[in-house]
Amino acid sequence: MARDTVKAGLLKTDGNKRFQDGDFVGAESLYSKAIIADDTNPALYTNRAMARLKLGLWDSVIADCQACLKLNDESMKAHYYLAQAYLELRAFDDAVTHANRAREICAHTNDKSLTQVTTLVLRCKKDRWEDSEKKRKRAHKELEEDVLTMMRREKADVTESISDDGDRRQVAEEWDDKMAQLSRVFEAARANEDKRREVPEWAIDDITFAFMIDPVITVSGQTYERASIMEHLRCSTTDPLTREPLQPSDLRPNLALRKACEEFLDQNGWAVDW
Amino acid sequence: MSSLGTKRLGKELAKQVSKSLPPGITLVKADDLQEWLLDIQVLDQNPIYAGETYRLKFRFGKQYPIEPPEVVFTKQENRPIPMHPHIYSNGIICLDLLGSSGWSPVQNVESVCMSIQSMLTGNTKNHRPEGDADFVSTNKARPKDIEFYYHDNEV
Repeated sequence: MARDTVKAGLLKTDGNKRFQDGDFVGAESLYSKAIIADDTNPALYTNRAMARLKLGLWDSVIADCQACLKLNDESMKAHYYLAQAYLELRAFDDAVTHANRAREICAHTNDKSLTQVTTLVLRCKKDRWEDSEKKRKRAHKELEEDVLTMMRREKADVTESISDDGDRRQVAEEWDDKMAQLSRVFEAARANEDKRREVPEWAIDDITFAFMIDPVITVSGQTYERASIMEHLRCSTTDPLTREPLQPSDLRPNLALRKACEEFLDQNGWAVDW
Repeated sequence: MSSLGTKRLGKELAKQVSKSLPPGITLVKADDLQEWLLDIQVLDQNPIYAGETYRLKFRFGKQYPIEPPEVVFTKQENRPIPMHPHIYSNGIICLDLLGSSGWSPVQNVESVCMSIQSMLTGNTKNHRPEGDADFVSTNKARPKDIEFYYHDNEV
């Protein structure tokens, strides 16, 4: 175990400077040297992960974040960068898990990144939903084609065994009808899915007009997304509706609504972009 | 930084396009998410405002709706500045709702327009604020940074 904190600190400062200048390759290499000097500082790993995120080195981002979490599993940044890397790798469940964890830590520590992290949670959930929708639609289409293929084969077998021309034509027509009907059933199911979508008012935050994932309730009984009411309270400690004094400690989670929002979003990922 | 403002404004716009604004309020221009123009009319028979249309200019900062938009009347052909003891002749409006301390993020473009509309509807005094000429010639501050003294709230 290496532990030259002074040397590591200097390298980190240099790395930060490179990062700020947009030299992510240079920053990454300085952070690597810092980690060689001191491999016990979790912040060095998240700094390198941040540079690697810019460089699109997703697997290395994950390795750094995991190293950081081994030293400090409450690192908001590690969870935040992990979620982004997993999202890029289309590992949606992992992305959602870590984005949620980062958001919880932000909410708990009153971190100013709460809005940003909340946005990432929504994006992860939306991308996950879109991915599963795409798969579901493809499966649906495949099912239709499989059944039609079987019916066509059956039709051929049956008509072949009929010797009378008139009878054969009639049976063939009956099969064509059945196949057309089946296609209509599948078509109707698809049309139903694409029908006009509406987001229920109860799921919408009155400050950002965005979908809520962590609704909190004020003394006056009004509910807001935690990230947006916190932004407001940083600016003015008043209830937006009544103008009565309101402190962050007066906010209570609205658990029933939170669950309802979560369930709605799982089924309706499009609601993120409403 | 958060892009709170652009996202929320986009949604306000989408809502306003799909749903009509209240009578007497029309959206004139909202090409970007920084500056919008709206026309307002006073619908009852208040003789001070009868037959006139006034133009409001909204400017939104990055922190909208946490911070208030800047809202002023702008003068042009057929769009005068309405006469009101809380509206200066350069279009600056003295309304607590538009100041940093009176603003609330649950307000929106529509509700601000409605407040201004009702402020005109209820007015019976056909004159400018006291010291209008002085204020108009000397003021350099941005509207929302001006410390107005809200002395007669019954107007």
